Amino acid sequence: MKRALVAAAASAASLALLAFVAATFGHSPLLVLRTLFEGSIGSSFAIEGTLTKSVPLLLTGLSVVIAFRAGAWNIGAEGQFIAGAIAALLASRFGNVAAILAAAIAGAAWASIASLMRLWRNAPEVLTTILLNFIAIHLLGWCVNGPLREASGQYPQSDPASSSLPAIGSVYVGVPLSIVIAVAMWWLLYRTTEGLRLRATGFNAGAARYAGINTGWQLFRAMAISGAVAGIGGAFELLGVTHRLFERFAAGYGYSGIAVALLGQLHPLANIASALFFAALTTGAGELQRSAGISSAIATLGQAMAILVVIAVSWRRRNA
Amino acid sequence: MLSVIALAVVASTPLLLCVEGELVVQRSGMINLGVEGMLLAAAFGASIGGVSGAVAAAVFVAFLFGLFTIVLDADQIVTGTALNLLVLGGTSLAYREMQSRTAQPIRLDLITPVAWIVAPIVLAVLLWSTTTGLRLRAAGEDPNAMRAARWSPARYRWMALAIEAVLVGLAGTHLALAQSNGFAENMSAGRGFIALSVVIFGRWSVRGSIAGTALFGIAAALQYALQAANQGIAFHLLLATPYVVTLLILCGVTGRVRAPEALGKSLR
Amino acid sequence: MGPTTRAMLSLRGITKSFGATRAADDVTFSVGSGEIVGLIGENGAGKTTLMRIVAGEMAADSGEIVAPPRIGMVHQHFALVSHFSIAENLALASERDFRFVSSHRLEREAETTIRESGIDLPDVSRRASDLSVGERAKLELIKAVTSDPELLILDEPTSVLTPIECAGLFRLMRRLAASGTTIVFISHKIPEVMEVAERLVVMRRGEVVADTSAPGLTADEIAETMVGGVDAGFSRQRESKPRTPAPPLLAIVGVAGNGQRELAETLRGANTAFIPEDRANALIAEMTIAENIALRNGRRGARERAERLIESYRIKATGPGQLAGTLSGGNQQKVVLARELDRRPKLLIASEPTRGLDIEATRFVHEQLRRAADDGAEVLLITSDLGEAFKLADAIQVIYRGKLSPRMSREEAATRVAKLMAGIA
Repeated sequence: MKRALVAAAASAASLALLAFVAATFGHSPLLVLRTLFEGSIGSSFAIEGTLTKSVPLLLTGLSVVIAFRAGAWNIGAEGQFIAGAIAALLASRFGNVAAILAAAIAGAAWASIASLMRLWRNAPEVLTTILLNFIAIHLLGWCVNGPLREASGQYPQSDPASSSLPAIGSVYVGVPLSIVIAVAMWWLLYRTTEGLRLRATGFNAGAARYAGINTGWQLFRAMAISGAVAGIGGAFELLGVTHRLFERFAAGYGYSGIAVALLGQLHPLANIASALFFAALTTGAGELQRSAGISSAIATLGQAMAILVVIAVSWRRRNA
Repeated sequence: MLSVIALAVVASTPLLLCVEGELVVQRSGMINLGVEGMLLAAAFGASIGGVSGAVAAAVFVAFLFGLFTIVLDADQIVTGTALNLLVLGGTSLAYREMQSRTAQPIRLDLITPVAWIVAPIVLAVLLWSTTTGLRLRAAGEDPNAMRAARWSPARYRWMALAIEAVLVGLAGTHLALAQSNGFAENMSAGRGFIALSVVIFGRWSVRGSIAGTALFGIAAALQYALQAANQGIAFHLLLATPYVVTLLILCGVTGRVRAPEALGKSLR
Repeated sequence: MGPTTRAMLSLRGITKSFGATRAADDVTFSVGSGEIVGLIGENGAGKTTLMRIVAGEMAADSGEIVAPPRIGMVHQHFALVSHFSIAENLALASERDFRFVSSHRLEREAETTIRESGIDLPDVSRRASDLSVGERAKLELIKAVTSDPELLILDEPTSVLTPIECAGLFRLMRRLAASGTTIVFISHKIPEVMEVAERLVVMRRGEVVADTSAPGLTADEIAETMVGGVDAGFSRQRESKPRTPAPPLLAIVGVAGNGQRELAETLRGANTAFIPEDRANALIAEMTIAENIALRNGRRGARERAERLIESYRIKATGPGQLAGTLSGGNQQKVVLARELDRRPKLLIASEPTRGLDIEATRFVHEQLRRAADDGAEVLLITSDLGEAFKLADAIQVIYRGKLSPRMSREEAATRVAKLMAGIA
């Protein structure tokens, strides 16, 4: 409960700081906050936008959480997201289920490169996952300029995927599915022996080994799950939102995932809330740019401030 | 071909300066993912106040990184990520608001020779031929052994951050005032992250950093040649190659490589 | 201290407690200038704590210290940067200013320093990680000696040295002493200490129990005072059971640092129950009792199992949901014991299972180990507590410098164990 308070306080503080920043540039802070609010949850259209935006944030955030709980930093969610999307595009002619499955496998495989390098060569996953991001980005660039370029050859983008995710009402099915995945990850972490051992490995690998856990293999499985979740994120975004691949398909999602995971106190269910908050901030900032001419970059600033407040507060708690 | 190399050298000057800064910081035991944000902040600072504005902005980001990771003992990865977002959001926002008061573009590019000749020599001497460099590296290898010799590892990590800030400040100046006519949103465009890769590629050495920057820079410059020759498809694979090589280097496929022992570890 | 020498170090009534344990209990003695004193005792007897107080690394609760300003201390755990060369490690320790130094010059200066120290350590360009443990110990010693200390404290410097290296170290110590340096030499190996020290101070449980400056003590007598309590433990022995070829409860005794950890690691298989010496990492502090138990046995029925074990092992806890990190040390150890024994293991390795526990918890742990053995498990008790070994074990082996003595009955062990542990038999 205390942690929920910290997250809520950090969110509120980040909003207050944004209003303050806007005020220093001569904008009315109240107007800024109202526009952010209305632009994100003020109409059904705005809410749809926020919900849609929350899907990739939630899934990359969950990806970071799973790896972190096993004691690894997965900074590679962006690469795994891309790997998933490419696989989903290729598999989409066999239907949505096949596409999502392929994406999960591709994401897991991409993440496993990093964990295998850690296990075999002790290469730090912080560095390898960053490198794998670049490789994925350039691979995507090659795909949409080469083998996967649209048949007309007009733009560097792929043809639309052969299948697409249906909508429930006016919201595409990725929204409820991503929440189901968050609940599933919570269940995995806190209600299964696998999750127990995974968290034990992250808390104290030495003690986990004394309890008979093969911590290397445990870390490998956690990274695979982490990558699979990010890969599914890529599939959802492709099949439900963009339908095509293009070079900047995943821009920044991996790093936003870290922000989501941190504000969500590295807990899967709390991640739903933090993903929604950041999504709302992003759609609200879009409206702010359209109506008030204030850069939508204010959303990024908000993410940063929320994380910094979380860090500062958790430091105070640790040293209290 | 010669012109491609010349182009590559000038175009990779900001990258090289970031690599050099990050090299010093990593040698002192920190992974500063925030070098990307530091470069962007420096470019923004340069567009307002020239070199001094750039360095001041970079120092500010370095100060925040040190405050959170050294003083508050926060995770380096988290802090770096947060600072990147902070600078990306902050500069984009401010840029729109402030209607680009652009400082004078640089006529004579002195930064390129500094990056490719002066800085490497100074850093190589500082890190490997002075007692201060010895202690800075010790902070990155084994802070406890350093404390046992009654040195403060925190002090040397701060020093490394200060050096990085100056170098990245120059990088930002070059980016905004020599290569372009002022600031543009997200104009660092991932160079900070690439710098991180180059430091690994160069196996945490000055010579390796220069070679790595040259390789990454030439790969990037070749893309224009390939595009011009209507070979636009292949350049993406070409761009990916240095990262694949770096990955293999990190796995020790090409011989012994070793990151500083305490890299990324907190001081507590 | 002799009448002609001036006291270089004097301690009066030094007391230091960590929680309920007294690491130093009213310690009084003094050491003269140029004297070599062996400070001996079992691990945990308080030797290191006392010397860290002397070196100013730790404050005493009460008592008076008179110590010289320049003290060099060589710790049991080396403080070397493993990827630095010998020369760089020396420079890190001794250089205080900024100056330019090529690695070549650094190496030449290191060679000079080493030559002046009188210690033989060739090829200063080698990295610390490539040195043998003996060479690393030498390097630490050189670091301590270069500051020209008036008092030099060596904490178990010989534990990792070969006999030839020891002899070299002792020559150096004598030479330093002859030039006026006072040396306190911490060890648990009586023969070595007797070889070099003019005087022995024996500590047990924080107290000074013997001091050979009161003359006439023999090595055997010192060994007895050092480990203490053998006879008492033996006289309380249980009725002995008929010998089986593999004794159900075998104790490996030895002073810590003689290869116990390595032994436990080699014997540990996937299905071995293990009670680690490394108490801080025995349980996951951030997880509940039930979760810690479930790490072995799975989550199914974990809560009920935890409740049952809390009951039958008399663990003082608010319930299965209490965080393991908030339990007392004794109760944490009970949780480990419960988790490991509940699987009815074929082999149980318990490494120092009662270190730091109070009397009640110790008694409980002993009961459980005995019961596990009586129920058919093979129990291997690795301990430095002789009383414990004699009370519980069916047979005893001594470990000294990584080698195991032949298996002995308790009767046989009673007469030989102290000497075997001290390496004089």
